[in-house]
Amino acid sequence: MNIDIKVENGTYIGILSGWLDTNEASQFMEDIKVLEENIGSPIVLDCKDLEYVCSLALRGLLKLKKMSVAKGGSLVLKNVTGEVQKILTMTGFIKLFDIE
Amino acid sequence: MDSIVFWGFNLYAWITIATVLTMFTVLLFTKLRADLVFLGAIAILFVTGVLDAKEAFSGFSSTSVVIIGVLFVVVAGLTHTGVLQWIVKHLLGQPKTYSKAVVRLMLPVAALSSFLSNTTVVALFVGIVKMWSKKLNISPSKLLIPLSYASGMGGVCTLIGTPPNLIISGLYADHTGNAMNVLATTIPGLFCLFIGVLSIIAMRKLLPDRKAPEAAFEATADYTVELLVPSDNPHIGETVAEAGLKEVRGGSLIEIIHYDEMITPAIDDEPIMGGDHLIFAGQIDEILDLKKSHGLVNADHHVFTMSEVDKNRQLLTAYVTFGSSLINTRIGGSTFEKDNNMVLVAVARSGKRINESPRDVVLQAGDTLLLECPPNVKIHTERLSSQLQFFDSAQVPNIGKKTLVSTTIMIAMVVLSALNVIPLLQCAFLAAIAMLLFRCCNVDQAMKAINWEILMVFAGSVVLGVAIQKTGIAERLAFGILDVCGTNPIVVMAAICLVGTFITEFISNTAAGAMFFPIMYEAAEKLGYEPYPFLIALMVSVSSSFATPIGSPTHMLVYGPGGYRFSDFMRIGLIMNFIILFANIFIVNIIYPLTPLNP
Repeated sequence: MNIDIKVENGTYIGILSGWLDTNEASQFMEDIKVLEENIGSPIVLDCKDLEYVCSLALRGLLKLKKMSVAKGGSLVLKNVTGEVQKILTMTGFIKLFDIE
Repeated sequence: MDSIVFWGFNLYAWITIATVLTMFTVLLFTKLRADLVFLGAIAILFVTGVLDAKEAFSGFSSTSVVIIGVLFVVVAGLTHTGVLQWIVKHLLGQPKTYSKAVVRLMLPVAALSSFLSNTTVVALFVGIVKMWSKKLNISPSKLLIPLSYASGMGGVCTLIGTPPNLIISGLYADHTGNAMNVLATTIPGLFCLFIGVLSIIAMRKLLPDRKAPEAAFEATADYTVELLVPSDNPHIGETVAEAGLKEVRGGSLIEIIHYDEMITPAIDDEPIMGGDHLIFAGQIDEILDLKKSHGLVNADHHVFTMSEVDKNRQLLTAYVTFGSSLINTRIGGSTFEKDNNMVLVAVARSGKRINESPRDVVLQAGDTLLLECPPNVKIHTERLSSQLQFFDSAQVPNIGKKTLVSTTIMIAMVVLSALNVIPLLQCAFLAAIAMLLFRCCNVDQAMKAINWEILMVFAGSVVLGVAIQKTGIAERLAFGILDVCGTNPIVVMAAICLVGTFITEFISNTAAGAMFFPIMYEAAEKLGYEPYPFLIALMVSVSSSFATPIGSPTHMLVYGPGGYRFSDFMRIGLIMNFIILFANIFIVNIIYPLTPLNP
């Protein structure tokens, strides 16, 4: 699993790739701390190359989303496909996130 | 202060009486550590001048207290090399009748207890007897009281079998300069055991016939219910606490199974996800109301099958001990689950499951708890031992060559001291060193085996005995008993033993032994008889506490597993107290005929 974070025009863009399972989840939580520190800014997470997401990582994303909304920011998931889409649909989280 | 006399006692005697009474009141009604209470009592007797420094600390240098400490190491060697397991494996067998089962159980337990700590023996046998009783189709409650009684009666059979014997024999040696033989109590002890076994068989109907407490937990489906969160549930994304799903009417959420992970115990800030399987414990019919109130559905489509979930569960059964801080509390109202990383799934009392939300049950001593822990997490049951007695918590060592080595060391110790080749103290030291040299136990295990709290209590008991004697209380009580009972030595012996038997139901056997020693000794001398047989009878009587579950730590060990009530011990135990008292007085006077003191 890999996450590259860059800032474009005040928007934080995270590009996720690979297999985000329970073993990788704690590192993922560490990696997204930079987004938590800048909460309130628009955040876009590109999931085009993300093959799988575990429940622990979903928990992290949900927390980020709630924090963002509380601070008047936004969190958008982009290019959600395949297995990740199935997981979001099954868990009902697809309705909790803005998906593009 | 000696000049101020009131009701025949001087001020020092009254301070001693007040200290002893206060001490036992504190021990009975508070949860203060026994060793601290005894230390406090010694401090009062020292500071008030009842005892001088030498007397106040005499307990700590007492030979019998040192022997008890060293024997802890010897016993550690035996238990860590599987001697107990070997005996269990080869001796219990498959008897056809209840009478034979009682004999097959009580004799080996008594034999082991005559050399090992009674508590160690009973702790190991409890689990085995429960399984054995299932095999024999006998209710465990019919066998667990006999198990506990056998350990007490077996302990009496040697001086090293139970601490009161060592304390009384040590005090006797201090007074007379003559050491008692390690097997001095063997014949009286065996006779009382024989009578005890026959009495149990004869009075079997007085033993309750109860289902094992865990039987109430045998079917998983009886105490948990699994509900599924549909993918369009309105609570998705909320935490368990926000959705109001942690504490629900009739029970609580104990486990969440996400699509890839199981969360045990369920935590308040865990988010609800569609497809989650939520496992609730409690009153199933009430919990099922959640289908209406929270839009949950029956988990007929399983992400995991129930058997897979069961495999991943770590279920532990434990009994609430006497004196546990959990008594009169509700698990739901404490931090117990959080502190110990476990959740309460169900509670049973006297073999029947309590039909209430388990976390709302006000716990009582002897209640059986079914607890669930996260898989692969080692629960340190020893740390919780003051609150809960875990079933199957005994570690089972392998049986091998060291089993033989440790047994040989133990037998050599007993034989050498019985034949007066080497005194018992030196024998015990040599045996403890041998256990370590032959690696029957390591230094860590040996150090952990030494129960300093018990040693402090023993030392304190010896000091209290000194105070009772020094202040003349023993002499006055002895005269009082002689006034009431006349000058017949057997009547006096029986009377003091009778009082000792009932006092020991409420205080530790060792403390009773230390305090009754001077009374019995003085009484025998006042009557003009050699105190030896009187003290042998006292040894048997202070270890004969059958009528209350608090009379002995071994009774407490079987109380929960047997599903007993307090009255179960009273019913059979009161009669047993009298039977063993008669047997004791009879056999002691035959084996050790009363001899007048030399003028």
